[in-house]
Amino acid sequence: MSIFDRFRKSPEAKAAEQESLHRQADILMNLRAGRVPSGVLERLQGAASGTKPWIATLTPAELGIARSHGLKPIAAVSATCWLHYGWSWTLGHAQGWETALERLAQEARACGANAVLDVKMRTIPLAVENSMDFTLIGTAVKVEGFAPSDFPVIATVPALEFVKLLEADVVPTGISIGAHYEWLTDWRNSANQAWMGNTESWQLSKLWETVRQRAHAQLRQSSQGRGNGVLAHLNFSQMFEVEREQNERKFKEYLARHIVIATTVDARRGTPLPHDFKMAVDMHAGKTPLTGTTNHHQSYATNSSEGAI
Amino acid sequence: MTLNLPAHAQERLKGLRSSAHSTGVFTSDFSVNEFLLVRKAGFEPIGICVGSCVYHVGIQYGSWGKSQEMDVLSKAMYHARELAMTRMRAEASAMGADGIVGVKLTIKRMEWDENLLEFIAIGTGVVHGEGHKGFRAHDGGPFTSDLSGQDFWSLLHAGYRPVEMVMGSCVYHVAHRGMLAGLGSAGRNVELENFTAAMYEAREIAVERMQFEASAAKAEGVVGVDIHEGSHGWQTHVIEFFAIGTAVLPLEQEIAPEKIADPIMVLSVND
Repeated sequence: MSIFDRFRKSPEAKAAEQESLHRQADILMNLRAGRVPSGVLERLQGAASGTKPWIATLTPAELGIARSHGLKPIAAVSATCWLHYGWSWTLGHAQGWETALERLAQEARACGANAVLDVKMRTIPLAVENSMDFTLIGTAVKVEGFAPSDFPVIATVPALEFVKLLEADVVPTGISIGAHYEWLTDWRNSANQAWMGNTESWQLSKLWETVRQRAHAQLRQSSQGRGNGVLAHLNFSQMFEVEREQNERKFKEYLARHIVIATTVDARRGTPLPHDFKMAVDMHAGKTPLTGTTNHHQSYATNSSEGAI
Repeated sequence: MTLNLPAHAQERLKGLRSSAHSTGVFTSDFSVNEFLLVRKAGFEPIGICVGSCVYHVGIQYGSWGKSQEMDVLSKAMYHARELAMTRMRAEASAMGADGIVGVKLTIKRMEWDENLLEFIAIGTGVVHGEGHKGFRAHDGGPFTSDLSGQDFWSLLHAGYRPVEMVMGSCVYHVAHRGMLAGLGSAGRNVELENFTAAMYEAREIAVERMQFEASAAKAEGVVGVDIHEGSHGWQTHVIEFFAIGTAVLPLEQEIAPEKIADPIMVLSVND
């Protein structure tokens, strides 16, 4: 390569650039119309018809369980919504994940799947001006002998947990999100109790309570129609203190936000788990491959580490 | 004597060095559990295989307001990995291995030069205990796989065998803020569609390349796929989308789905 190559573009480079522009335009057009981008569609249909290899994010142990329960992996499906929160960070998170979820379901439908397993939440570590990328990645599977579904089940749980739930007559159906934030304006500076002894900061307690309750109420609402219960594995909350000044008067404002993301399930009450438990020594080092080996989300820093989303 | 150990183990414990090891010493980076499970799967480790490549990655700058693949960087990441993997595989071939399990592919940046990356592929070469050659890749060379010993055992029991560790890379420049101008988005939550499109394009390129490799290896599918993003000291908006997995084929004697043993639910007493 000569030094001029950096300034002079080869015909191939120009063609590649054109192709890239074309592809991005196609992606934009199809996403706006609520469709799967052409390139992705081609890959998904190729995998569905068997002309291209299937792709599964499942570990081999999970593949074994999927096979023995009549599930066949088709393709890795993914969806992204990059959202700018000009209005609200907190509500943006609900909107971002909901949009991605809808697009993920589109991809699942496009490859004739009955369910998407092992759905993971991703965010790329790139901060661009009050915006964030909401990405979901999972494996679309077909149940042998079933017709493709118009409403594929979106399960955030790995294959093993999916099968475990099915055997217990519980169907994981999707993701629900509850998000709420509230500002508290403390005109009299009474939340600041530096001069007092042991006492509750009741204003802030109250703020937390309200925000959490509303977020959970929203979670309940968002899960309606998707299932009759949720397993809320992911709870994320933050509180900030902001100093303000208005008409030469100094005061403080507090922002509390709470986001809860859950796997929705459709469960029949009172169905017992048909399995016995045994005590065993695990041969596996570290995490078990039966529940996947990568994290189920890296979008939020939370203190809970167990379970899927 | 209540000790119910194999004769060879007893002899060794008594301090008698066996003369049975005509092939000499094997090396592996297996843990105890991995070692036991690889052997349970019918394979014997023969030696650690290493391939490395120190690569000078060319320089390429993305246009400020444009989302595009950095083809110079993509090619570099691809080529360097390929070299490391090929060298590892050549080592395995030389020692007569049927395959390499537990391949770890790592990238290190040299301290003194930010454009110098070291790629290392390392795994354990294994042979089939009964000399069965049906496990080799389509070209007759050893199979490669990033699966651990445990995963390897599980895969065979799921009715599949590993063929080749496949990957797809796309180093991508995500446009800068320029795209936000004129959006008039203050006071609203709006999708930055161009950014979304960039993510779709980059990821799709990576996945398609991986799938293409799997097709070329005549595989039926790819298992254990991870699609992740990383940066190797480039500009802030330059990100590598990397898809990696193990391409697989059904076993010659395919295990019927109903024959696959269901796991027993246990409460692990490990910790």
